[in-house]
Amino acid sequence: MRRCGLALWLCIASAAQAAGISVQDDRGVTVQLDRPAQRIVTLLPSLTETVCELKACERLVGTDRYSNWPASVQALPKTGGMEDANVERIVALKPDVVLAAVSTRAIGRLEALGLKVAALEPKSHADMRRVIGAVARLLGKDGEELLWRRIEQQTREAAAKVPASLRGQHVYLEVDASPYAAGPSSFVGETLAALGLGNVVPKELGPFPKLNPEFVVRAQPDILIGTDTAIQEMAARPGWQGLKALKTGRTCGFAMPQYEVLIRPGPRLGEAAQLLAGCFTKLAQAH
Amino acid sequence: MASARRRLLLTLALATLALALCGLVVGSEGWSFGALTDPALRQVVWDIRAPRTAGAWLTGLLLGLSGAIAQGLFRNPLAEPYLLGSSAGAGLAVVIVLAAGHAGGQAFQLLGADALLRLGLVGAAFVGALGGVSLTLLLARGAQRSTTGLLLAGVVVGFVLGAMADLVTMAAPEALRGKQVFMLGTTGFLGWTSCGALALGALLTLPPAWRFARALDALALGEDSARSLGLPLPQVRMLMVVLLALATGTAVAQAGLVAFVGLVSPHLVRSRVQAPHRFTLMASAATGGVLLLAGDVLARSVIAPEELPVGVLTAVLGGSYLMWLLHRRGAR
Amino acid sequence: MTRHGASLLQAHGVSAVLGGTEVLHEVSLALPSDQWTAIIGPNGAGKSTLLRVLAGLLPCAAGDVQLMDQPLLRWRTRERAQRLAWMSQQGESAGELSVRDVVHLGRLPHLGLLGTPAAEDEAIVQQAMRQTECAAWSERRMDTLSGGERQRVLLARALAVRAPVLLLDEPTTHLDPPHQVALVRLLQRLAHDEGLCVVSVLHDLSLALQADRVIVMAAGRVRADGPCSEAHVRQAISDVFQGAVRIERIGPQDQWVAVPQLPRE
Repeated sequence: MRRCGLALWLCIASAAQAAGISVQDDRGVTVQLDRPAQRIVTLLPSLTETVCELKACERLVGTDRYSNWPASVQALPKTGGMEDANVERIVALKPDVVLAAVSTRAIGRLEALGLKVAALEPKSHADMRRVIGAVARLLGKDGEELLWRRIEQQTREAAAKVPASLRGQHVYLEVDASPYAAGPSSFVGETLAALGLGNVVPKELGPFPKLNPEFVVRAQPDILIGTDTAIQEMAARPGWQGLKALKTGRTCGFAMPQYEVLIRPGPRLGEAAQLLAGCFTKLAQAH
Repeated sequence: MASARRRLLLTLALATLALALCGLVVGSEGWSFGALTDPALRQVVWDIRAPRTAGAWLTGLLLGLSGAIAQGLFRNPLAEPYLLGSSAGAGLAVVIVLAAGHAGGQAFQLLGADALLRLGLVGAAFVGALGGVSLTLLLARGAQRSTTGLLLAGVVVGFVLGAMADLVTMAAPEALRGKQVFMLGTTGFLGWTSCGALALGALLTLPPAWRFARALDALALGEDSARSLGLPLPQVRMLMVVLLALATGTAVAQAGLVAFVGLVSPHLVRSRVQAPHRFTLMASAATGGVLLLAGDVLARSVIAPEELPVGVLTAVLGGSYLMWLLHRRGAR
Repeated sequence: MTRHGASLLQAHGVSAVLGGTEVLHEVSLALPSDQWTAIIGPNGAGKSTLLRVLAGLLPCAAGDVQLMDQPLLRWRTRERAQRLAWMSQQGESAGELSVRDVVHLGRLPHLGLLGTPAAEDEAIVQQAMRQTECAAWSERRMDTLSGGERQRVLLARALAVRAPVLLLDEPTTHLDPPHQVALVRLLQRLAHDEGLCVVSVLHDLSLALQADRVIVMAAGRVRADGPCSEAHVRQAISDVFQGAVRIERIGPQDQWVAVPQLPRE
C-alpha cells in the first residue's frame, strides 16, 4: 500500500514537472519516457496480455516465446524465454520500452545497450492492479480503471454463480507437479477467496510454496484443481489415492489453454474467476 | 614433436580467427554489408555480437585453463574446474543476494540501490566461488594434507553448499527462479564490461600459470618424488588452487555454469600433442576458447532466430570429438 | 673393501611409525661418500621406510637424520634436494610427459620453478640418459614405455640431479638381466669413480651382494652392517631369510651370490 502510494506520488510529481512519463517498476528503478511507448517488447505472457487488453496490441513488436494470447501475438517475432532472451533480436526491434519479469537475466544487458526496461511481476491482486496501472501509464493510456472494474465485475458475477453448498470448502490448486501450490496470498488464491472458497495452504507459507506431498494428503482438500493431465496422474502419487476428493471425483482439471488463464497474473483474471466458477457449478450439480 | 605443437597452435589461431569472424556475422538479424554504415546494424554487430564473441572466447580461455590446472593438480583426467566447491559457492551467494533483495526489497528500492543489487549478483557469484574454494581449503587444512584430501573436501563442500542453497530457496522461493536463470551457462549476455572482467581474470591467471607450470610436471611424478626434488608442495598446491578459483570464479560470475569445456579441453590437447604443462596449460586455454566460441556461434545459428543453450553445444562438439578420438585409439 | 670417504648421511637412533605401528626401531648408521651400500631384508623389514626417512619424506618419531653434519630438517628444501636425490619405482609414472621432460625434472633442485635450463643442464640430462641407456626414446611418452624402460628413465631423472647422495628404492625391479648388470656397473662407477654416496634398497640378493657394504634389516631393525666378505653379515642374511638362502662365492672372479636353499626331501 505504501509502495503504491509512493509510486503514485512520484508519478504525479514528475508528471507535474515535465510532460514525460515516469514509472517505477518492481525493482525500484524509475523508467522515464518522453512520450507514450509506441514500440513494445514484452518478455512475460501476462504483460503481453495486459498490453493487448489495454487496446495497444498493435504496438507490440516482439514477445517471449510463451506468449500465446491473443492469437494475433503468435505471429510476432519471438525473443526467447526468461533465461535466454535473444538480446540481438530485442535490440534490432528498436523498442521504446521492454516489459520484463524481475528475474529476466537480460535486463542488465539491455539497459547497458541503452534500452529502457520495466520489470513488472505481479503476485497478488494489489500487485496486478499496480502493474496494469504502470503499463497503462507507459502506454499513455488510461484504460486501467475500466479494465480493473471489468475484472472486478467478472469476479463478482462468478462469485454469484458459485453454489452455496461449495462455499467455505477448502481447495488445493496446483501450479506445478513438484508440488507447488497456490497459497491464499497469490493472485489466484485471492480469486478463490473472492469466490468464497478456502485454501488448504496456510497464508504463512507465501504465495507459491513448494509443499510436502504428505501435507496435501493430511489436509484432505475438498476440491482439487490443476491441469487435466496432473489430475489424472494424481491418483498414482504415493498416498494420494486416499484423497477423498479424488475418490469422489471432486476435481477441476483444465486443458492447457484454460489453465494458462488461471495461472497467469494477467488481465484475464476475471475470466479465470469465471472458469473456476463454471467448474464449481458443474461439481455442485454432479454431487 | 615441436612441429606437432606448432601445428596445434596454428590450427587454434586460425580457428579462433575464423570463428571470431563468424561471431560478427552470425545472429538472429543476419548479415548485410550495410552493417558497416547503418548505425542500428552497427550497434548490433559491434555492441552485441562483438563483445559476445570476445566474451565467449575469454570465458572458454579461463575454463580451459582451470580444467588443465585441475587435471594437473589432481592427476585425474576427470577433474574439472568446479571441483573445489566454486560452483556451489557461487550458487549459494547468488541465492542469498536474491533472497535478501526480496526480503529487504522495500529498502533497496527506496534507496535506488538496484544497481547495487545487479552488480551484487555478478559480484556475489565471484565472491561465492572464491568463498567455496576457501572453505574447501579450510576443510582440507590449507593444502597441507594430501591432494586427495583436498579433492574430498571439495566434494563435501560442494554438497553442503548446494544443500544450503536449497534451504535458502525453501525460505525464499522467489530466489530459486532467479538463481536458475542466473546460473544457466550462456554467453548471450556478455557485454564489453563483462569482457573487461574476463580479460582481467585472464591477465591475473595466465601468466602465473605459465611461469609455474613446471610444478605440475613435477607433481606428475608423484608427490614424494616432487618433494624430494625440492618442490614446496603446500605452497604450490595453494597457488594452483588460487589460480583455479580466480579463473573459475570469473567465468561463472559472467557466464553462469558452462559445463564440459574445462573437462574436455585438456584432453583434446593431450590427444594431439605431447608437451610439458607449460605448453599444455596455454594450449588448453586456447582450445577452451575455440570450443566455447564455436559453441556460441552455433548456438546463435543452428535454429536461428531462436538460440540453443551453449552448454549443450559444447558438450556435443567436444564430447563427440573426444569419443571419436577414443574410438580411433581403441581400434588401433 | 671398506673404502669410503667422509660420512655424508647419518641416522641416529631413528624410529618411525606408520599407521600406528612402529616400522623402524632405533636405526643408527653412517653412510659415507665413495661407497655403494645395499639395504636388504625380507618383506616388511622397513627398508623402503628407512630410505624415505633418510630422504626426509617421512618424519622420525624418535632420533634424527643428519645430512652433511646438519640435521635434515634444518636444510632449506631446495638445498637439500640438490644434495640428496631419491628415486622410487612406486607412485605415478607421469604418463603424458616425454622421457626428456621427466629427466629434465631432475634439474629442478638447481633451476627452481622459474629458472631457464642452460646448455649445461641439457648436457647433464643427455649424460644421465646415456648412462641409463634411454637416450633413444628421448621424445617418447612415458606411458608408451614398458615397466623396465620407465624405471631406467626414472633412474636417469635421479642421476640428473647430480646429488652427492643417491637413494634408490628398488631400482632393478622390472629390469632384465643385461640391464640389471648394467645398473650394477653404473652404481659401482658412480660410487667409486665419482665418489657419490649410493644407497639402494634391493630385492635381488645376488645384485645386492655386489655392493661395497650390505645392511641387513628385519622387523624394523638393523641386524648386520658391513661388507658381505664378513662372516657375520652372511650369517645375518641367512638368518633373516630363515635359512632359505645360502651365500657362496662362485666363478672365476669369486663373485658372491645368494643361492636358494631348497629343503631337503
